[in-house]
Amino acid sequence: MTVEESDLVLVKRVQRGDKSAFDLLVRKYQHKVVKLVLRYVRNPAEAEDIAQEAFIKAYRALPQFRGDSAFYTWMYRIAINTAKNSLASRDRSPIAYDLDLNDPEESHSVQTKLQDPDTPEGMALTEEIRGIVNSAIEGLPEELKTAIVLRELDGLSYEEIAAAMECPVGTVRSRIFRAREAIDKRLREVFEGGLGRTEEMV
Amino acid sequence: MTEERDSQLSAMFDGELPGAECELLARRLSRDEALRAQWSRFSMIGAALRAERGVALHDRVSQRVQTAIAKEAAYGDGADTGATSSQPVPATPVSVKTASNARWARLMRPVAGASIAAGVAALSIMWMRTDVGGPDPMLASTSAEASAAESIVLTPEAAPSTLASNTPGASRAPSNGEPDVYVTPAPSTSPGIAPPARLANYVVAHSEYSGPLSRRMALLGLVAADSENATPEQAGSAQANDNADAATGAADAP
Repeated sequence: MTVEESDLVLVKRVQRGDKSAFDLLVRKYQHKVVKLVLRYVRNPAEAEDIAQEAFIKAYRALPQFRGDSAFYTWMYRIAINTAKNSLASRDRSPIAYDLDLNDPEESHSVQTKLQDPDTPEGMALTEEIRGIVNSAIEGLPEELKTAIVLRELDGLSYEEIAAAMECPVGTVRSRIFRAREAIDKRLREVFEGGLGRTEEMV
Repeated sequence: MTEERDSQLSAMFDGELPGAECELLARRLSRDEALRAQWSRFSMIGAALRAERGVALHDRVSQRVQTAIAKEAAYGDGADTGATSSQPVPATPVSVKTASNARWARLMRPVAGASIAAGVAALSIMWMRTDVGGPDPMLASTSAEASAAESIVLTPEAAPSTLASNTPGASRAPSNGEPDVYVTPAPSTSPGIAPPARLANYVVAHSEYSGPLSRRMALLGLVAADSENATPEQAGSAQANDNADAATGAADAP
C-alpha cells in the first residue's frame, strides 16, 4: 500500500461519515500545508488561517473527491488557490482595526497573532521541539537514525530504504517505528514536564 | 500488543501498512484519542526533522479545523463516525447551505433509487429489443393477436396461415410493413391448446342468447372434444386460444 492508498482509506471513511478520519489527514498534512502557504504570505499566523480555510474547503469538497489524484496533491491545489484568493481579497479589503474582543472569532484572531510563531515565544517553542527531536535522534543507534532520516528527510519508501540499508522491508518498518517511538517518548516527557507553557503565558 | 499496534500506526503514517490492516487501524483511530495524538506527534517529528517553521503552533490548525467541521453535517449516513461524532451539534450550523444540501440529498435518495430502477428497466427492454433484432415484441405480439382474432371470427380458416408467419423460420423473411419477427412461444404440440376457431365462432354466435354459465359449459365440452380430435395444424398456436378467451370475455361483458 502506498501513501496515496493509505490516505484514500481515510478519505473513504470521511465520505462515509467519520469526521475523525479527516482530523487524521489534517494532522498529517497541516505542517506541509502551512509551509506551502508560507510561500505566498509571510505572516505565519495568516498562513495558519489560510491553511485552516483550505482544510475546511477540502472537507466540504470531499464528497466530490474520487481519488484520481493523491489526497495531498488535491489538497495542495486547494491550499494554493485559497492563498491566492486570500491575497486578492486582502488587496481589495480595508484592514479592520476595530476588533471586538467579545467576538470569539476576532478574539481568537488576536490570540493567534500574539502566539505568532515568529514572536520570541513562538520561536522559542519551535526551537525547543526541534532541539528535543534532534537530540533524541542523536541518541539513536546508527541504523535507526539512518532509517528515520531516509524516510523523513529523503522521503524514501520502505522498499527503497531496505535496498539502501541491505535489510528486509520488515526490518526497516521496525527500525523506523523504534526511532519514532524513542523520539516520541522524549517529546511526551517534555510535553508533560512543561512544554507549551508559552501558550499558557499568553 | 501495544507495540505491534504502534508499529502499525507508524507504518500507516508512511503509507506502508497493508490495506486491510489500514482499514482496521483507521477504525480504531476514530475512537482512540491517545492514538490520534501519537499520530500527530509523528507528524510533528517529521516537521521538526525537516526544520519546518512553527512546528508546535501548527498543531492548532488541526484543532481549529476539527472545531469548524464539528458544526457541519457528516457525510454518508453518519453511521461510520468515530470519537468525534460525540461532539455536540450546534443549533445553528455554520453553513446553512451545506446542511440544506444534506437534507435535500436525503429527500432525493428514494427518487434517485426509483430513477435508477426505471433506467435499468428501460435498458432491459432495449436489450430485449436488440436481442430479438426486430420491433417491440410486445407490440408485435399484440398486433398479431389482433389480426388473428379478426381472422378467426370472420374467416376461420385464415387463422392458421396468418399464424404460420409467426413461426421462427418465417420471422427473418423481409416483410411489407409487417414486423420482421413476432415473439411468440414455440408452437406447442399439445392438443389441449388447439386453435378453437370453431369454438370461438360458436361462442360468438350464441353469446347473445346464452347465459354465462351455459356458455362456459359449452366451451368446456368443445375443448374436450377438440383435444380428442386435434390435428397438428390445429395445434399451431397458443394465440388463437388466447383470442378465443378474449372473445369469450367480450361476450361475457354486459
